Amino acid sequence: MRRQGRARSIVSSAGSFILPLLLLCAIWEIVSRSGLVKPVLLPPPSTVFPRIITLATTPTQRGGSLLVEHILTSLYRLGLGFFAGGLGGIVLGLAMGSNKFVNGYFNPIISILMPVPGITWTPILVLVLGFGDSTLIAVTFIASFFPVVCNTASGVRSVKKELIWAARIMGAGRVSLFLRIFLPSSAPHILAGLKLGLAAGWRTLIAVEMIASALWGLGYMIFDAKEYLRTDTIYAGIIVMAIIYAVIEKAAFGFVEKKTIEKWGVVSEVA
Amino acid sequence: MRRKEAVLRVRDAVMFALPLASLIVAWQVVASLGLIRVLPSPTYVLETLLNLCRPAKGGTPIILAHFGASLFRVGMGFSLAMAIGVPVGLLMGINRYVNYLLHPVLSLLMPVPTLAWVPMLLILWGLGDRTIVAAIFLGGFFSIAYNTASGVRGIDKDLIRAAYTMGASKWTLFSRVLLPGSMVSVITGLRLAVGYSWRALVGAEMLAAAGWGLGFLVFAARMVSATNVMFAGLIVIMFAGYLMERYLVGPLEKRTVQRWGVVRT
Repeated sequence: MRRQGRARSIVSSAGSFILPLLLLCAIWEIVSRSGLVKPVLLPPPSTVFPRIITLATTPTQRGGSLLVEHILTSLYRLGLGFFAGGLGGIVLGLAMGSNKFVNGYFNPIISILMPVPGITWTPILVLVLGFGDSTLIAVTFIASFFPVVCNTASGVRSVKKELIWAARIMGAGRVSLFLRIFLPSSAPHILAGLKLGLAAGWRTLIAVEMIASALWGLGYMIFDAKEYLRTDTIYAGIIVMAIIYAVIEKAAFGFVEKKTIEKWGVVSEVA
Repeated sequence: MRRKEAVLRVRDAVMFALPLASLIVAWQVVASLGLIRVLPSPTYVLETLLNLCRPAKGGTPIILAHFGASLFRVGMGFSLAMAIGVPVGLLMGINRYVNYLLHPVLSLLMPVPTLAWVPMLLILWGLGDRTIVAAIFLGGFFSIAYNTASGVRGIDKDLIRAAYTMGASKWTLFSRVLLPGSMVSVITGLRLAVGYSWRALVGAEMLAAAGWGLGFLVFAARMVSATNVMFAGLIVIMFAGYLMERYLVGPLEKRTVQRWGVVRT
């Protein structure tokens, strides 16, 4: 019974999501075929979608598929940069949230560095690290670090005093206070920070791939396509980016949220 | 009383400045020991900054001309995003069909990095203000429209029913219930959009600016490996961003949302 209901709800939500997109694709196709806009500027979906397949089936010298290698290169950089930024952000955020002096020292520094767009560091890092993966990963790291720090610190600080007192009275040591109180009750904030950090890292990475003229990656792919006026490749790249990010976010956070904050039951408490 | 307040304020300022000062000292030490080859010392960067404050040919200081160009672009782009994003969002919130059509598109396009549109804009308009303003617009538009729409959709149904029961016309419903009720979300969208526009500005200026702009300044300095100019530009970007965050975004929230009493102070 229940499974049937779920299947039906999946079908209906797919209908309400995909149907309007199909409708817009149809409008896009008509506008682009009607000649109102130059076909170079707005290639119809009937050439953009096949272009994705062409890109995916074009072999590279290494023997893989062109599109897949661009995607994997971007994901590799995003993965490393975000992992470092997320880890560093959580560690510093926990320290800032639980220690007054650490907070007093780092808070001004972070609040002044945070509004600097991650991309700004690119030219400087290029001089230090050169053109290559390390620059791109470093910029991604910087971009994803700040949202994680801020959210983690404010999450730890928002833990209720009564909870801490209660745990202390019941004889909780430092370690168990940290593991049983601080970590679970700030988990929703940390996860929100990680989500923001991933988004910031992703946006910045694509931008940096264009600016630092890397030779691989989705950002490079569309920027290079501009030189040859391959607008179909540009639109194909944008569509691929939209799909990939949606998949990463669902896959990474949907799973983690289910395993942590829903299981610990902190979400209903917070909301 | 007054005096105590003043003392507290000074203490806060010192507590804020002290860590930054320690960082600058550390930077000076690292630079004068030559640990990182390309790192210019803070004194050198300060000297560069002062040099950049000297008037250019036209009479305005060089750094102000760059700053002005960036400010103009971000102002234009953000205003456009607001002027179009809020009505689109409201329309999506009010009308079921508009929402049905646009919601999937917005949620699909939102995670597309803003700068991914720049190659297309470059083909369309080439280097220059138009491309950069359009990129900034796209940076802000999605979060404004999305948040406005979800703000209107999130209003308690009972409130709407109550207003209708008390004889509210469509216009009254809109201006007295839907608009104030969604304002928290609208402001959230605007806040996010300020950040996104600012980020889009610097990136777009690196890719598409011709001659002026803070992003262009930093990027052009790399061509001649002038690290001192790069750091000077970075510092100006840093302060502009900080001031914007502190004196534009914060007060915006205080003035509107708190006064209407939607959020408890």
